[in-house]
Amino acid sequence: MALLEINGLDISYGGELTVSGFGMTLGEGEICSIVGESGSGKTTVIRAVLGLLPTGGKVTSGSILFGGRSLLTLDKKQWRELRGRGISMIFQDSGAMMNPTRTVGSTFVEYIRTHEDMSRKDAWAKGSEMLVKMRLPDPERVMRAYPFQLSGGMRQRVGIAMGMTYQPKLLLADEPTSALDATTQAQIVREMGELRENFGTSIIMVTHDLGVAAYISDSIIVMRSGSIVESGDRGSILHRTQNEYTKMLLDAVPTLGGERYV
Amino acid sequence: MSETILEARDITRRFRLDGGRELTACSGVSLSLYRGKTLGLVGESGCGKSTFMRLVMGLDKPTSGEILFRGADIAKMSRKELHETRQHIQMVFQDPSSSLNPQMKIRDIVCEPLMNYGRIKRSQKNETAAELLEAVELPPEYADRYPHSLSVGQRQRAAIARAVALEPDVIIMDEATCSLDVSVQKSIIELITRLQREKGISIGFICHNLPLVQSFAHEIAVMYLGSVVEIMPGEDIAEKSLHPYTRALLGAVFDINSGPGRKIECIKGEPPSPLNIPEGCPFCDRCGECTERCRKEKPRLTEVSAGHKVACHLYGGESEI
Repeated sequence: MALLEINGLDISYGGELTVSGFGMTLGEGEICSIVGESGSGKTTVIRAVLGLLPTGGKVTSGSILFGGRSLLTLDKKQWRELRGRGISMIFQDSGAMMNPTRTVGSTFVEYIRTHEDMSRKDAWAKGSEMLVKMRLPDPERVMRAYPFQLSGGMRQRVGIAMGMTYQPKLLLADEPTSALDATTQAQIVREMGELRENFGTSIIMVTHDLGVAAYISDSIIVMRSGSIVESGDRGSILHRTQNEYTKMLLDAVPTLGGERYV
Repeated sequence: MSETILEARDITRRFRLDGGRELTACSGVSLSLYRGKTLGLVGESGCGKSTFMRLVMGLDKPTSGEILFRGADIAKMSRKELHETRQHIQMVFQDPSSSLNPQMKIRDIVCEPLMNYGRIKRSQKNETAAELLEAVELPPEYADRYPHSLSVGQRQRAAIARAVALEPDVIIMDEATCSLDVSVQKSIIELITRLQREKGISIGFICHNLPLVQSFAHEIAVMYLGSVVEIMPGEDIAEKSLHPYTRALLGAVFDINSGPGRKIECIKGEPPSPLNIPEGCPFCDRCGECTERCRKEKPRLTEVSAGHKVACHLYGGESEI
């Protein structure tokens, strides 16, 4: 059975249809990228999966099944059990999701203690241990730091460490490397690939960077103005696509030693 | 290379911080802009590339060194002289949503530089705005719109129209395409290169996307921790670059043609803080080929072939004193 199955998903904001007829299937340990330009609805889709549509947004038809169970009918308590343990999410800038007036450790401890009954001390130790797993040097210093004291790459690692604390089956990543420098981006993307090897995590990665999608994904979904233009395994999208829009997107990506304008 | 328009000689900029600490944003940078050519400046955040371009714009003064625009030193100009010179050096910013005044119509935005310098009369604005919008391939009726009703790509076109309005010799673009989608990015690069051909503008283009820069820059300078570590013709960067840092940047590029089997090379760690730059080569702590000498002596930019300079002891770099 597929881990995640979405069928005929329509999402509207204030009565206006923004995503229509979205569908995908994701197996365990698979990585799928959703690519598309801004406004194509890619972020809206993964927000819907985690029940995080902003006010005014709602799923108007279709189904989202996670492990065979519908996510559209969960109540607050059921969501609380699922988020973090079953599905978790990392954002474009993990620094922005953390409270700037609290230390990383304080946020991390709170996160752990909402999920399990644990003393502050143990939760702190568990947090540090996760940071070590995410290859953050000097975890104690990171735990005591405020988000602004960390570089973008380190903040993103903290975000991934939090998301991975309970080894969720599915990790949703919304442009996790777009705000990072090239070299840091390479490190983070590689580490995300290792999550699958080490924990068997399935990942849905939303990105506008086709290069990153090409590197990490098993399958790719191309979206445009709320609908799927094309989907398939990475080879068929990158090398054998017949779709004009996908071709245009691929052509627009600058490559080393590629087309020159001067 | 063609005629030199602007030349920065041995520019250093230090910022004094609390507690007597000093932050070196640029150290001994020498770069030139040539007529009708593009200089791409690449490097990670905090490497000093934006500081350098701000110095070139006269928005900030260097601690030492000189910036010669047609022979006159920008760093020593009075406000009045600087005002005159700015007509010839214009800028396009990263985020067109915040660099355009939301309360002004596009017509007023693109004509503002011309009005500032008294080049046109109020009565000529309609006509001028139409010409400028045509040059950046926007429909003339957009003159009556406000920035918020344009897409991000269209806004960046309006920002470019404003920058070319005074027919400057130099345009500095600070990450001008990095907030755009790839297809829009491509169309903006095509626009910039066309305007450059038609008007002979020199462009200083700050960017961290190496494949993009090499697609249109005549010359690329790579900066690391305030120093230029390599400078070479843009087209050669993929094949002929030598500096371990440039190679590392190239290794970190995700190429759509590479399979999952290809290993992405990444350098360990992150750049050290510009508050404590290593004594020797700035890259020594992260370099795989670092030697004892690299830790002690800072290599100087040394020419290895025509137009290609590297600051690395592996490639015959002499030491700075």
